[in-house]
Amino acid sequence: MGVAKRVLASLFLIGAIYSTPQMAVQTASQTIVEEGADGMTRAVNRIIGGIITYARWPGSAPASRTLCVVGTPRLTDRIAPALPGNSAAITVRRMSAAAATGGDECDILFLGRMAAADRQRLIGWVRGRAVLTISDDDPGCLYGAMFCLATKPAGLSFSVNLDAIGRGPLRIDPRVLKIGQADGGVP
Amino acid sequence: MTRPASGTTLQKLLSRFHFGITLFAVALSGLTILLAGITAMRGYADRNIELAAQLGAYGVEPALVFNDASAAREGLAPLVRIRGIAKLRVLDDRGQPLTEWISPSEDPAPLLTRAFFPKPYVVTIRRNGSAIGTIQVWGDSSTLIDYVRIGLLAGLACLIVTALGTIVMARRFEYELVKPLGEIATVAHDVRLHRRFDKRVQPLGIAELDRLGGDINALLDELQGWQGTMESERALLAHRASHDALTTLPNRAAFDEQLAQRIAAAERSGSRLALLFIDADNFKAANDRFGHAAGDAVLVALSSRIRETLRERDFAARIGGDEFVVLVDPVDLAVEPQTIADHLRTAVSQPVTLPGGELYRPTASVGVAVFPDQAGDAAALLTAADAAMYADKLSNRTRS
Repeated sequence: MGVAKRVLASLFLIGAIYSTPQMAVQTASQTIVEEGADGMTRAVNRIIGGIITYARWPGSAPASRTLCVVGTPRLTDRIAPALPGNSAAITVRRMSAAAATGGDECDILFLGRMAAADRQRLIGWVRGRAVLTISDDDPGCLYGAMFCLATKPAGLSFSVNLDAIGRGPLRIDPRVLKIGQADGGVP
Repeated sequence: MTRPASGTTLQKLLSRFHFGITLFAVALSGLTILLAGITAMRGYADRNIELAAQLGAYGVEPALVFNDASAAREGLAPLVRIRGIAKLRVLDDRGQPLTEWISPSEDPAPLLTRAFFPKPYVVTIRRNGSAIGTIQVWGDSSTLIDYVRIGLLAGLACLIVTALGTIVMARRFEYELVKPLGEIATVAHDVRLHRRFDKRVQPLGIAELDRLGGDINALLDELQGWQGTMESERALLAHRASHDALTTLPNRAAFDEQLAQRIAAAERSGSRLALLFIDADNFKAANDRFGHAAGDAVLVALSSRIRETLRERDFAARIGGDEFVVLVDPVDLAVEPQTIADHLRTAVSQPVTLPGGELYRPTASVGVAVFPDQAGDAAALLTAADAAMYADKLSNRTRS
């Protein structure tokens, strides 16, 4: 694992040196995924955590946020976002689409694999609400989730659906939007 | 005491001194300004790098959160256009490099870079209070080199201006100081070489030099006074040496000189001159009878009467106690020398009132000899006249 990390790091270093002049047109934006059983889980949780920290809900910040996992996550079954520093604590709850739309407790909606109808309902329900949506079952980010995770040969990446973000009252740090956009995820 | 080499002039000395002082001042101020400028520039460069590091920290923060190397490179993109950055490096929270960028342009002055940016500027990137990575920024000398170049160029320009200014000032010094000194020297030289004691130093407009000039003028006044006294004293001495004190007539020495000159002149021109030898008769007896004061009075009266008979070119002298000579020069061929002798004898024998109130009638024997008729040279002429006078004295005795 340690060796792999070093190899990856040096690969990126070399890549950075060689690709310096063309840096702006570099499109592949992806989180480094460490080898091993936990590598993907850590990468997914890191990305989810990062997205959450760059999202701003309207109103005062509560002590904790609730992440509702709907459907079956494809990349990892252990969703537990890793948030840097003293961010608000995240409570992860699994529930059905009906339960999610029924209550008003979800701040973040993680959309795993599910029926298209459920997904449509959820996306429709989210519209206008201060709910962050992240999907790992939509590599093209076409079905209305704000952030979509996808695996790439070199690692894990995410793309941004600007339309979806624009419709809601959530504020996302433009630096994150830029990273997500570099992937060209939104047509 | 050390003295400058004889080849050095005051002007050269002053200009060298001046150049040294000006150079020192310019170098000192130039160095100060350059150092102050470099310090200020360094402050700006540091601030520049600090700002770049802060900008980079802001840009790469999400990349560190997502552990995304390409996003980190994009985050650094605005920094690579900033001048004066040699190298950038982003490290994650475990100290592993996430991305690195090295400036493609060469460092213009590595020495300057080593002196001013020996260490990278490091900013710790935090997210919600916890460190998620660091960004390191290495500066290079490209922002300083222009200032240093301009500074050195300005220094060179100052040096040239200094040199030119020194030349101008030295010229001015020559005019203001060396010229007045030269005037003093000229006066002193003139006085020493040509004895021009009437020369004076004119007012020069510089207090110290005017004092010197005043002292020299005072000294010249004294010298001029001494010179005048000496000249009049010398004239007095010369007069005394050649004249008789009692009668103020020329003495024997003056007569001998005069006789030699006039005979030489007569020989050249072929003219004649007569020498008359006059001796007061019975003078000793009169002296004994009436006293010395009376004798002196007789001698003075005789000399004034002899003088009265002379023409302008003629010459009379007292050559002994009661002996006088007269040179009649020239003597016309038509004039009989004996006539002149008679005329003199008559003039001399007028009565004289003595100091005691007595009336005394002096008589004199007069002998005459003519050059070149009776003698060929001065001694012979004198002897002939002397002999003629004795002959006259004898005839007088027989007369009386």
